[in-house]
Amino acid sequence: MSDGIRQEIDLRGLTCPEPVIRTKKLFDKAYVVAVEALVDDNVCVNNLQRLARTLKVSCEVEDKNGYFAIKLERGGSKTSTASQSSHTHPLPISVKIGTTPTEVVTVLFITKDYLGEGDPDFSKTLCDLFLQTVFASGHRPRAILLVNSGVRLLAKDSSALKVLNDFRDAGVEVLACGLCVDFYKLKQDIATEQITNMFAICEYLFAADKIIQP
Amino acid sequence: MNNQDEICSTTPPHEMKLTAHVKAGGCAAKISPSQLAEIVRGLPEFDVPNLLTTIQSFEDAAVYKISEELALVQTIDFFPPVVDDPYLFGRIAAVNAISDIYAMGAKPIMALGVLCFPVCDYPLSVAQKILQGGADALKEAGAALVGGHSIQSAEPIYGLAVSGLIHPQQILTNGGAKSGDALVLTKRIGSGALLLAHKAELLVGASLQTLLCSLTLLNKSALEIAIPFKPHAATDVTGFGLIGHVHEMSKASGLKCVLHAQNVPFFPEALSYAEQGFVPAGAYANRNAYESIAYINDDVSLSYADLMFDPQTSGGLLLALEPPKAADLVKALIETGLVGAIIGEMIDGNAGHVEVQAR
Repeated sequence: MSDGIRQEIDLRGLTCPEPVIRTKKLFDKAYVVAVEALVDDNVCVNNLQRLARTLKVSCEVEDKNGYFAIKLERGGSKTSTASQSSHTHPLPISVKIGTTPTEVVTVLFITKDYLGEGDPDFSKTLCDLFLQTVFASGHRPRAILLVNSGVRLLAKDSSALKVLNDFRDAGVEVLACGLCVDFYKLKQDIATEQITNMFAICEYLFAADKIIQP
Repeated sequence: MNNQDEICSTTPPHEMKLTAHVKAGGCAAKISPSQLAEIVRGLPEFDVPNLLTTIQSFEDAAVYKISEELALVQTIDFFPPVVDDPYLFGRIAAVNAISDIYAMGAKPIMALGVLCFPVCDYPLSVAQKILQGGADALKEAGAALVGGHSIQSAEPIYGLAVSGLIHPQQILTNGGAKSGDALVLTKRIGSGALLLAHKAELLVGASLQTLLCSLTLLNKSALEIAIPFKPHAATDVTGFGLIGHVHEMSKASGLKCVLHAQNVPFFPEALSYAEQGFVPAGAYANRNAYESIAYINDDVSLSYADLMFDPQTSGGLLLALEPPKAADLVKALIETGLVGAIIGEMIDGNAGHVEVQAR
């Protein structure tokens, strides 16, 4: 990948979370494709590895005898298929993890796998369209909470799965109610880390400034 | 609860950054469990007839039996700032210190303040506000501030040495849990990771408010609600993280513990910050220290595991009691507006082993 900037950053002498924040800020810029960070403690190494997993960039650690050189690169070996698109299209600038002080915390609360009342098939298509439109407009809610038949949107054969994965890759938490997942027998389809409980769902709803329930 | 609302309703001013030069604040500053074990090893045993606890038993507080009806409970806790607002810091440090008294099932009666303060770096009003925060927490706990000790130092440190009273028959130790008991937790987990995010000025709004409300909340009400349900064992979750304190309880009780990651109440956003690498050094130290007794199942994702090792400041009570009572306790806690969740159970098995299942 030659059409992007590779950056080096010396973070030695800094303690966490400073190295994580500085590295993350570099990756917030779409034109940065690789970062080599120098850190001098194990905690920073571990935390940068976690950051790399979340950003879906590859991460190589080299022990330089006294300090560590960590190479993080977009589209590296550990990149999942879901974010392969970052090979050709740089991540949109709006992809940002964490919060800015002015940000309004919005949560999408989806309680069924269709939108509105009417023809069943049409209502399902409309639901997909809604999610795709939210994504395309650049809105990034803090979380998308799926309950009742809403969890079906995460099923393997769901037409909304792609857009929900896009949200997830953009840092939005896409979470399904565990009880509902069990009820609709979708345990095999949905990753454990996307399954949550009613307690956590309530936490998100009460912590939100704005709740959108289509 | 009125006080609580007042404290949490506004974001504190940041004229003087208390946390700016602090390496690890709160319970994250704790010496790691493995280092501590090495430090206390070789200390003489004190054969005092009326002493009901020993250093080796890792209890939350020391208990001295004065008579058949009365025992004295003593504890001390202090740490560097976790937040920039001095009043909030004082209050959090005090609430955290008093918590050890509640963790023994006792009632705090009085406390001595411990203050280390860089008098040249901060105006004295900062120290005054720290003490005010501590004093207000003590007032709410129904205990008196009766003195203290202060020195100059490079880093601010504040805390309390607290005394409490209890009937010797009613002491809640680490070691009383019975096989089949359910474990109830009364505060959320993940404050270590979130305090890192807060230090980086990333945490705002409702998430910050939830965190500060929890940190400044006494475990007094939670204990008062729990006592009628007759818990067999209790402790509070602080610097050694959820797994560390669960381990201490299961070891002392001669049982194994199974935790269910999905049932643990985490702070809003804590998982997401842990995922992004906001994991405090103390969490890695805890992970290393408890590696040999913690069995994390493969389907538990890394961020859940990280938070279960995350050092907690001013954490909640962890109570072991019969499952039906545990369910009623959780209901009672939630009805009062507190946090309550059954996060695992004690079973027969290798004493002190902690297995973490995803669900």
